Amino acid sequence: MQKLKYYFKIWWLLTRDSFSAVLGQRVALAFFLTGKILRFSFFVGFLYFLIQGTKSLAGYSASQVIFFFLIFNVIDILSQFLFREVYRFRPKIVTGDFDLTLVKPTNALFISLMGGADVIDFLTIPPLLFAVYYVGSLLNPTALQVILFLALTLNGLLIAAAFHIAVLSLAIISLEIDHTIMIYRDLTSFGRFPIDIYRQPLQGILTYLIPVGIMISFPARALMGLVSTPGVLISFAIGILAFIISLRFWNFALKKYSSASS
Amino acid sequence: MNKYWQIFKISFQQEFAYKINFIMWRIRNVFQIIITFFLWSTIFNDPNQIIFGYDRTKILTYVFALMIVRALVLSARAVDVSSDVAEGNLSNYLVKPISYFKYWLTRDISSKALNLSFAAVEFSALFLILRPSFYFQTDPFVLLSFLISIVIAALIYFCILFLISAVPFWAPELGWASQFLVAIVLIEFLSGALFPIDVLPLTLQKIVMSTPFPYMIFFPVQVYLGKITGMAQIQGFLISFTWLVVLWFSMKHVWNKGLKAYQAFGR
Repeated sequence: MQKLKYYFKIWWLLTRDSFSAVLGQRVALAFFLTGKILRFSFFVGFLYFLIQGTKSLAGYSASQVIFFFLIFNVIDILSQFLFREVYRFRPKIVTGDFDLTLVKPTNALFISLMGGADVIDFLTIPPLLFAVYYVGSLLNPTALQVILFLALTLNGLLIAAAFHIAVLSLAIISLEIDHTIMIYRDLTSFGRFPIDIYRQPLQGILTYLIPVGIMISFPARALMGLVSTPGVLISFAIGILAFIISLRFWNFALKKYSSASS
Repeated sequence: MNKYWQIFKISFQQEFAYKINFIMWRIRNVFQIIITFFLWSTIFNDPNQIIFGYDRTKILTYVFALMIVRALVLSARAVDVSSDVAEGNLSNYLVKPISYFKYWLTRDISSKALNLSFAAVEFSALFLILRPSFYFQTDPFVLLSFLISIVIAALIYFCILFLISAVPFWAPELGWASQFLVAIVLIEFLSGALFPIDVLPLTLQKIVMSTPFPYMIFFPVQVYLGKITGMAQIQGFLISFTWLVVLWFSMKHVWNKGLKAYQAFGR
């Protein structure tokens, strides 16, 4: 418990510093925020007009399709907010500055993963959660469906954390790739739409191998009452497994760190 | 001319310095195409269905054409100009006997050549895997019009990139922010790179078509598909060419002002 308090305090301090740094450049913040809001609005608008013309997408109504997109955004924005430091990790490896993280008496993974929350994403979270609540309530879920939805969303965040840890580990192992995190973002963007639109075997790969489906589509489907009990159990099993594998991968990668350029 | 040919060759080779990086960048493009393909393929499950003025063949051709048009129009090294200005690296070029615009235009052409060759391979591979119904345009006049629209589109993109890259002359910290807002958000959505503009209601379509963005992707693809012909095509060319002229002179004007304000920060 004391360790948890210690790390929360560190997270709070790092987040405060990170927020101060971004708030120091208010015009840039306004540009990014406008860009993010525009991108979100354009996409929702596109989905709305699309379903107006087609009546449904893979059997889902306009509200359902928009709900899938909202859940994609919840996982995407929350993980960007929490794990923004991952985007700044590679330069530390290339320059050898990661040494400075390793010599500190805090967990290196914690600092590399959560060492600087993003204020821009933070500002978009409240309206997004309101939109989830509003569109979600249009789907008339039962209490059990809401509980399952919340649990599977947390599971989705666990998978997102696993992905981010894997990206950090890859950055240590290979110095040549500088946008692995963007590849992760592209992979998750498969979840902008219901996973049902993809043909097999891609649908299977996206559900179980690269668990984008479990991460994004399953929480949304749970709220619509479209997930079976074995489906829920498999989702949690895959979430926990992905997290354990990512931690092992991190430990393996740490042993390969060469402290180049330092 | 020879010096620009050398720049072309060096720029081409430079792309291979980080091979995995480049391949990863191409994989990212393929992901986008796969998502768009399956989205439209699901919507147009019935081959005889016509929605937004497209049948299955034409919409899937739109998706596949995106690969080639994106490689020709949106592949550009000039995205780095902004950091040149912000970090003071521009000074290195100002003292050299080369035109800065021509330098980046040459690098853009080199990037387009490389990306086009990769896009052609991806196009063939995805074509064999996904086996879409595809509309092959055979009319030489339409193909010529398509090529002209691509040249205009690439130049419009070049001017827009240079215009937003001028922002750091006055506000160095806004380089990436302005690129994000214009090149990533506005161009991505309003150019037709994610979805055809005809999906939007007529009023919105008219507003979007009066901006330069749809002439970068949507218009060339429509020309290829033969969906824009006759007077509508002439009107489209007139608007896009007018935008090109306006953007070209704006770019020259803003850069002349910018160079006077340039303080070589970081040097």
